[in-house]
Amino acid sequence: MIRRYGALIRNAWLVDLQYRASIVLWLLWGVAEPAIALGIWWTIAGDGSVAGYARADFARYFFAVMLINQLTIAWDSWYLDRWIREGDLNYRLARPLHPAHEAVAENIAYKARTASVILVVWLLVAAAWPAVRLSFDPGRWAITAVAVLLAAAMRFFISFTTGLLAFWTTRATAIMELHARVSLFLAGRIAPLALLPPAVAGVAGVLWFRSMLAFPVDLLTGAVQGTDAILQGLGGQIVWLAVWILAYRVAWSRGIRKYGAVGG
Amino acid sequence: MRFRVARSAFRVLAAFWRLNLAEELQYRANFIASLLGTVFDMATALLTLALFFHHTTALGGWDYWEIVVLLGVFNALTGVIEAVLRPGIGQLADEVRSGELDLVLVKPVDAQGFVSFRRLDIWRLTDVVLGLALAGYALFRMGHTPSLAQLAAFASTLAAAAVVVYAIWVVLMSLAFWFVSVENIAVLFDAVYEGARYPVSAYPGALRFVFVYLIPIAWTTTIPASALTGRLRPEIALAAALVAALAFALARALWRAALKRYAGASG
Repeated sequence: MIRRYGALIRNAWLVDLQYRASIVLWLLWGVAEPAIALGIWWTIAGDGSVAGYARADFARYFFAVMLINQLTIAWDSWYLDRWIREGDLNYRLARPLHPAHEAVAENIAYKARTASVILVVWLLVAAAWPAVRLSFDPGRWAITAVAVLLAAAMRFFISFTTGLLAFWTTRATAIMELHARVSLFLAGRIAPLALLPPAVAGVAGVLWFRSMLAFPVDLLTGAVQGTDAILQGLGGQIVWLAVWILAYRVAWSRGIRKYGAVGG
Repeated sequence: MRFRVARSAFRVLAAFWRLNLAEELQYRANFIASLLGTVFDMATALLTLALFFHHTTALGGWDYWEIVVLLGVFNALTGVIEAVLRPGIGQLADEVRSGELDLVLVKPVDAQGFVSFRRLDIWRLTDVVLGLALAGYALFRMGHTPSLAQLAAFASTLAAAAVVVYAIWVVLMSLAFWFVSVENIAVLFDAVYEGARYPVSAYPGALRFVFVYLIPIAWTTTIPASALTGRLRPEIALAAALVAALAFALARALWRAALKRYAGASG
């Protein structure tokens, strides 16, 4: 299995390498949104603070969003929608390997490339600009790595499962876009959850949105403190990951029975 | 450089758009989908703004309803982009890669104009109407009735804004010649244009410099919205026209340089 994954990841890496310009485009797209949000909050915070967030806190928060969003984002619903609609799924089903493994390998290759670029940029910016420096805390970084892994797995299953809806509807990607729109607020892409009205932030915490992005980001910046809060956050991530894996299994087994396509 | 546009060019465009229109009218469900998408976009933008104003009373010196006017202008321009410019760009990237652009270049029309305007997604023009309606409603809530001079300034700066947006778009199209295989080049535009949702004064100095001088999106929404709310100085309106002319000339020069790189390979 490890050898197979090695080959799949190498393959995905080489395919990506042909489309370097596209990777840069998506990277810029991912960086622009947090940069603009940071610009606005920077102005609003002025010399004071907003709900406990001063300018430097916003800078750290949105740099962490750039990195962790890139590490956890999954485009699979767009691929699956196309595979199912155009019949590209056929030869993938004929392989002795579940198509999800290819998708996972692609995610690893894509994230390794784009996230390392962002990490290098962050380090360079931090060398010149103290506001975005994190305090040295390897223990916290290790826990963040676990939370990022859980978030990436969950966002993968959300995206993959939503893509599977293409078995039934032509609007699967529209549903994914709606989800992205909601997560703009609830996952903390436009502002830290602490700045949302408490009721909205509560909904984000009960549903899976906080686990997607805001929780790992807050872990990295140090906004989440104390063993209880950390365990609670990780617990929420594990529960919602389990729920989405279950949803994926149901959608896959039902959809594949319904599927009938020609070509590929 | 000559900007002579033959009358026949307009006839060609009119014929293309008529065909497009006939095609689109077959898919009337798309109208509902497009309308829902726009309403949802606007709701998201207004909610984001509400979140910012939950923590402040002014953003870059603008109050809530003034920025809603700006959002209306933003939506109207987005409608123009989505209806006229975006439908054709995927096709151009394909043609550069496959060599089919030859067939465009041998046509007796201006290639830039042709590839820019050959497709029309009529439904997205509703965005223009909705955007202007939003701006009008926000003006009503401000209790501000624009004078005739302000409306004239708005019309001319909005026209200048459309030219600037088009110039940025042409620069992106030209990039397709250097970086073949960028179907998603329009994504870059989306990323940058997000910045035009807020008045340029709401950004820190470095970003403001970028948006005014390097990627001149400040001229596309901040200036027309200022004209409507009455905070625009006349010399800035004049500058907007100059910026538009300059941006257009630079974009056209880049497009020509890009075309020189193209070596056809079609069949």
